[in-house]
Amino acid sequence: MAEWICRTLRDGGLEGEHAPALIIKDTIRCPLSSFVFDHVLSQLSSFILSNKSQSKGIVLVALSRSPLYYQQFLKSKGYDVVDSPCWIKVLDCYSDPLGWKSKLVESGSILNRDPGSSITTSLCKNVRDLDNLFSSIIESGKELAGDGKGRFVVAIDSVSEMLRHTTVSSVAALLSNLRSHDQVSCLFWLLHSDLHETRATAALEYMSSMQASVEPMALPANGQIGNSMNLSLMEQNFRRGKFCVRVKRRNGRVRMMFEELCVDISGIKFAPVSSEDNVIAQSLVPKVQFNLQLSEKELNDRAKVVLPFEHQDNGKTTQIYDGRKSLNEGETEIHEKVNSSGKGEIIYFRDSDDEMPDSDEDPDDDLDI
Amino acid sequence: MFDEMRIVKIYIHMAAIRPRSSSFSRSTSVASNAVPGLKHGPNGTMFLSSGIQDLDKILGGGFTLGSLVMVMEDPEAPHHMLLLRNFMSQGLVHHQPLIYASPAKDPRGFLGTLPSVMVSKDDKSRAHESEQEKGLRIAWQYKKYFGEQNSDSQRDGKSEYCCDFDLRKPLERHFFTGKHIDCITLKDSADLTTFHDRCSSFLSQTPRTDGNVIGGRIAIQSLCSPQCEFSDKEWDMLSFVRSLKSLVRLSNSVAIITFPPSLVSPAFSKRLQHLADTLVSVKAIPDEDKELAKLLTGYQDMVGLLSMHKVARINTQVLNVSSDLTSSLK
Repeated sequence: MAEWICRTLRDGGLEGEHAPALIIKDTIRCPLSSFVFDHVLSQLSSFILSNKSQSKGIVLVALSRSPLYYQQFLKSKGYDVVDSPCWIKVLDCYSDPLGWKSKLVESGSILNRDPGSSITTSLCKNVRDLDNLFSSIIESGKELAGDGKGRFVVAIDSVSEMLRHTTVSSVAALLSNLRSHDQVSCLFWLLHSDLHETRATAALEYMSSMQASVEPMALPANGQIGNSMNLSLMEQNFRRGKFCVRVKRRNGRVRMMFEELCVDISGIKFAPVSSEDNVIAQSLVPKVQFNLQLSEKELNDRAKVVLPFEHQDNGKTTQIYDGRKSLNEGETEIHEKVNSSGKGEIIYFRDSDDEMPDSDEDPDDDLDI
Repeated sequence: MFDEMRIVKIYIHMAAIRPRSSSFSRSTSVASNAVPGLKHGPNGTMFLSSGIQDLDKILGGGFTLGSLVMVMEDPEAPHHMLLLRNFMSQGLVHHQPLIYASPAKDPRGFLGTLPSVMVSKDDKSRAHESEQEKGLRIAWQYKKYFGEQNSDSQRDGKSEYCCDFDLRKPLERHFFTGKHIDCITLKDSADLTTFHDRCSSFLSQTPRTDGNVIGGRIAIQSLCSPQCEFSDKEWDMLSFVRSLKSLVRLSNSVAIITFPPSLVSPAFSKRLQHLADTLVSVKAIPDEDKELAKLLTGYQDMVGLLSMHKVARINTQVLNVSSDLTSSLK
């Protein structure tokens, strides 16, 4: 599924359509989304470097991790960063997001000892001004892709950081502008969903076309942490998790996919979900006043019911015709007629079903209640 | 775009509709219906078409003039756009004035995705059918049941009340000429006052007391979309909708507003739902869901679910259609 997502992002969007947008989210119970983000970044880098992708480069907005981290990460994956800055540009919003450091340097209070990173294109000093950020992203992207039809990928490390500084509506506006820009091929961002109100998370999910969430595999039995079993479960959740993807398809259907992910020293690995975890699909059939579903026991019982026209042949005494039991007989006769249409038989329908057998008596007198 | 879909058809799964016609009926004959886009409804109301025949049937004829329709979107599916497209196309085909507002930067671009009227190939067969019917001698008591069918089968292209739309083809350019189409973007507005003024001037063009009824259409897409600055000012949005409702009630227009209920607080969402005269919600269905495939026939063709929660009750206490239906969109 992770591969599927990366391929979808690689293929980008069609002309005139909004670019596909992926939101990667997690919670504190299983905080592995940054590994997923890195994985997607490295996959897209490999697609771009091998010319298999619609886009020509990546613009990375680094808010929660420094550009140096990315430089080392990409180097460890084997991508050439130093010599060819023509495929990735990093906007450094991590070192000095609000411009405080540069003010202090200007006033001479501190010395600027930061060596900087070779991968950094520009330093953003005011994260609050999202219009400015938008234009710097587009500018960097145009440098990568050329002014014409070339397209680029935009990656935002931690929209959660952005939401610390600005409002949800301005972040949503930024994302929507990026998605609708002609030269943006695809877009993905990271969000820690438990840091924000549900409305903020819902608004950002609304802006996306694919949602990948990292959930804990095993939840602790109760809220208490002191229990040693719970501790080991929690530790497990820092290494393994469930990877759930919801994709909004073009025809309006929603596709859900599940995988297991596991993080170790070598990186992140995805594996198909083991059969223990059953997915309980939410029932979409509206609730009605009567129960339309049958339970297991009811299904079994229904299978066991012998229908009237089934048991007339198995040796039991045939039922003597009584005016009121005509229904059973009628069914039997019709059923037999259908079966034996090949042979010559006299087909006789009783028409005495219509007449009342004892018209002056009340048929209900026979009921013994 | 919807490659697989041509016409939007709505299949009713739950109850069958049986419009209960009242024993009292007005003496207005069908012939007096000179305006093609409008239809007389019960209780002195007039209908205009939603653009989807099956939806008109569920609503009992169409959208009542003077009503406010709200569509609850599902953030995971674009079905509300389908409803809007058909609504707007139908209005343009009937030359009814239209205002369209959306949070996109360039809402005029959406007009390019409106579907065109489907050219029906079976006009000939239908003419043949009506001839055959004349050969039948229908007893006079039963002629009243046939009256409805005959009016439906009067296909004449543009004078049809509700057209079938072909989603694969864009609407012809000549429908877009004329000053009666207005597209507004809600994106950069800090609040809704300017838009409110535009709407009120638009609605004053089609007042209720006017003898010459045309029928206007207002389509607002994704009102509470997070990109707009006013999206966190819930009370402002609520008062806008309320005042729009009162303006629409005094005019001969229909306003349709779509909003995503999950993006606003639950209390606010409830308030918006109560404000609506007609309330519809659309929902996505999971893809490749075996449980659902077993439960619903025609699952392969379905793209979504449409639920009717409320139908407009103007000048009456009793509805002649049943509410609370869930149907599927194909």
